[in-house]
Amino acid sequence: MRISRFLISVLLLLTVEAAYSVDDNPSTHKALTNTASTEQVAASLVASVDAVHPGSEIYLGVNQRIIPNWHTYWTNPGDSGLPTTIEWSLPSGASAGDILWPIPSRFSLGSITNYGYSNEVTLLSKVRVPVNASVGETFAVQALVDWLVCNEECIPQQVQLSLSLPIVAASTPTGVGSPLILSALAQLPVDSPWPVELKPLDGGFSLEVGLTLEQIKQIKDIWFYPADWGVLTQNIPQPYKVTKNGLAIQLKSGEAPLKANQALNGVLVISEQTDQGLLQTGFSVTQVPQQAATPTNNIGFISALLLALLGGIILNLMPCVFPVLSLKALSLVSHANQSPRQIRLQGWVYTLGVLASFTFLAVLLIVLKAGGAQIGWGFQFQSPIFVLSVAYLMFVVGLSLSGVFIVGGSIAGAGSSLADRGGYSGSFFTGVLATIVATPCTAPFMAAALGYALAQPAPTLLAIFLSLGFGLALPYLLLANWPRLQRWLPRPGLWMERTKEVFAFPMYATAAWLVWVLAQQAGPNAVIVALSGMILLGFAAWLYNTTRNTSERTERVGAGFVFLLVALAFILGYKGLQANSSLHEAATNQQEKNWEPYSAERLDALLAEGKPVFLNFTAAWCISCLVNERVALSDSKVVEAFETSGITYLKGDWTKRDEKITQFLTTFGRSGVPLYVFYPAGKNVRPVELPQVLTPDIVLNAISPSL
Amino acid sequence: MLRKLTTLATLAFALVTTQVHADATIDKAAPDFSAKTADGKTIDLASLKGKTVVLEWTNHECPFVKKHYDKSGNIPALQKEFTAKGITWLQVISSAPGKQGNVDGATAIKLNKDRNAAPTNTILDPEGTLAKLYGAQTTPHFFIINDKGVLVYKGGVDSVASSKIEDIAGATNYVRESLNAIAAGQKVASPSTKPYGCSIKFAG
Repeated sequence: MRISRFLISVLLLLTVEAAYSVDDNPSTHKALTNTASTEQVAASLVASVDAVHPGSEIYLGVNQRIIPNWHTYWTNPGDSGLPTTIEWSLPSGASAGDILWPIPSRFSLGSITNYGYSNEVTLLSKVRVPVNASVGETFAVQALVDWLVCNEECIPQQVQLSLSLPIVAASTPTGVGSPLILSALAQLPVDSPWPVELKPLDGGFSLEVGLTLEQIKQIKDIWFYPADWGVLTQNIPQPYKVTKNGLAIQLKSGEAPLKANQALNGVLVISEQTDQGLLQTGFSVTQVPQQAATPTNNIGFISALLLALLGGIILNLMPCVFPVLSLKALSLVSHANQSPRQIRLQGWVYTLGVLASFTFLAVLLIVLKAGGAQIGWGFQFQSPIFVLSVAYLMFVVGLSLSGVFIVGGSIAGAGSSLADRGGYSGSFFTGVLATIVATPCTAPFMAAALGYALAQPAPTLLAIFLSLGFGLALPYLLLANWPRLQRWLPRPGLWMERTKEVFAFPMYATAAWLVWVLAQQAGPNAVIVALSGMILLGFAAWLYNTTRNTSERTERVGAGFVFLLVALAFILGYKGLQANSSLHEAATNQQEKNWEPYSAERLDALLAEGKPVFLNFTAAWCISCLVNERVALSDSKVVEAFETSGITYLKGDWTKRDEKITQFLTTFGRSGVPLYVFYPAGKNVRPVELPQVLTPDIVLNAISPSL
Repeated sequence: MLRKLTTLATLAFALVTTQVHADATIDKAAPDFSAKTADGKTIDLASLKGKTVVLEWTNHECPFVKKHYDKSGNIPALQKEFTAKGITWLQVISSAPGKQGNVDGATAIKLNKDRNAAPTNTILDPEGTLAKLYGAQTTPHFFIINDKGVLVYKGGVDSVASSKIEDIAGATNYVRESLNAIAAGQKVASPSTKPYGCSIKFAG
């Protein structure tokens, strides 16, 4: 009842307005209406609603219908022309936003390129209705619209438009407003679903968009419309080429080039050939050009080198290095039967051993990194298996420090036996040994420096590693050169044993932290996987130590079991995390995936039951399909509406031009994607075909009758 | 010998290409030209060395030109102010035959008289050669060349791109600003600004 009365009032309002709009000459307009015409342009003021709620936000649109061969202009008109402006007169407390510019077209006439609109355009503005607007009164707005309309000649024109909308209570529906608003919303640029990069070129830029080759093949036209005058030269072609990362468009700087750190703003418009004609999609671009290598990087490099040197020195104090090094190396230094010159040489050979080991590590990392980059595996803490391995390592180092077993007995033994030989080879291998025992400590404590190094090109990485190694070797080198410094060193003793034991706890803490990281990455079940693995390792450590100093046979059996247990810990970790992550993935997929694959049988079954169905026919190479899915169909409101109204969302993948789907497309008179069809609830319903460019509102409006 | 020849050829080619792309670039020598004027004479830039030269592209039917001529007298006032100071002010009409703003010499002179305009002379460029040489795109569009033949300004008449006379008062007049800077021996503050207006009505 109330609704019908409301409709009548709207109708009355419209009739009254229509009566005023008889007079067509804008200059003699006394009573304003929502339409006004000039010889070239018919303008009208439209709204996204038929009535407003206090405190709501609505869209108002100035629609221009332009006679053939004439055009009005975009926010950047190009080489000549002027953008359309709207000056709002609103009730007090109301506010209007800037014009939301639909994607423009370009008009080239000789050496002049303009950006604007032909035929028809609706310029939207967001308008906020004041909270204190009184229900029962009208929300009256006026727009003073200025534009320049040109074919070859240009005419500045001005019209004044007005619109009055009833203010209704929150319980009264506001109506669907003008369909022009929805189609204008569909013409607004959206965020790019693909990565966009801007690289400096000589005299311009390369704008790179991560489209796939299949998508690139669909492109009929691509153009970047800069939002500001002069940033680019506008009247020259924008050639593009296909690169391994997608598409690279060459843009030439103009009269007012970008300043340092200034972003290039604009809209990238891609036209795609579909069976319904050219389909345009616009993507907002705001990109600061990537900087080429600058001297500041060198400063970063030098400070990284110094940090690495300092880190290397500190490594000497690390729990995994100090006990071993002080025992082995100090004894070497204190070998009184060698001449100072020999000792000095020993120091240098030791340094060489350390540096050789670090070079080996660096080369290994460079190779791994190169391989990793190719197979897309980040050599970082992103891989759960890597995190687990480091957690294991920390735990085992902790056990060793706690005295559960003696660390690397055989390695240390080999090292010490070599060192005991007293020759230069002994010193060299002490250096190697120092590196080996230091490595586990570098992972948690040097993560930042290593992270920097890993992100650098190979020579930088090598330099940083060498600096780190030199830092590690430095204290001993100094001791070898100035044996008197030894006096300043504390004598080895029980305190070292205690210190070593205390250092076990930071190791355990690190392991605990890594398990927490793992839980974030691979879900809570990863915790039980990691802890079980640690129990196995603990058992292995204990077994190793107890069987070590027994008969050779027991030792061998023990070693076999230890190997088995360690392997088991890793297999458990690997399998456990894999199962976990797939579960994790399945769970997240379930959350995101609100569609079923399309099959004719499934559709028939659902329709036979009278269930509402939303059909989406898409393809991996279809640019607008992907944009529609990102912008409209994945919108939380749309997903929610599908769910609450029990709509089954079927997705047909036409990437490989499936024959059955082709047949279905034909029934809608179509020969390609995208196609969106909605079957309302009920039997023998007429399917509703949606436009090829979607917005959340278009989808919501189409499915709303079933709400 | 062959190498010398190749170098020579490359140099020659480079010279030719730079000649072809002799764009009007700020702080570079302004492209030389020789053009017919409304009074039936020929004017060439080289002969104007030692004088500051203003090139003003115009089209008397363009609304943006009307804004600054008939309706406000803004550009005619500038012409009078600066020709009095010894500056050479050349209007350029590049409208192709049959297109908006295309006029013969006599009409061009009469139009200026009627509009109270006072340029030093008016160049008739119906083929658009001069416009293309300088990269002129709009009416109005200004280029200022200093006494050494160097281009020191290119762009709009002022800072507010609109077709409304009311906006003239609040706008920075770049032409006046630049000419005053040149007279004072200073550097032009905004050497390249956005030209605004109608497009030049080239043939085709």
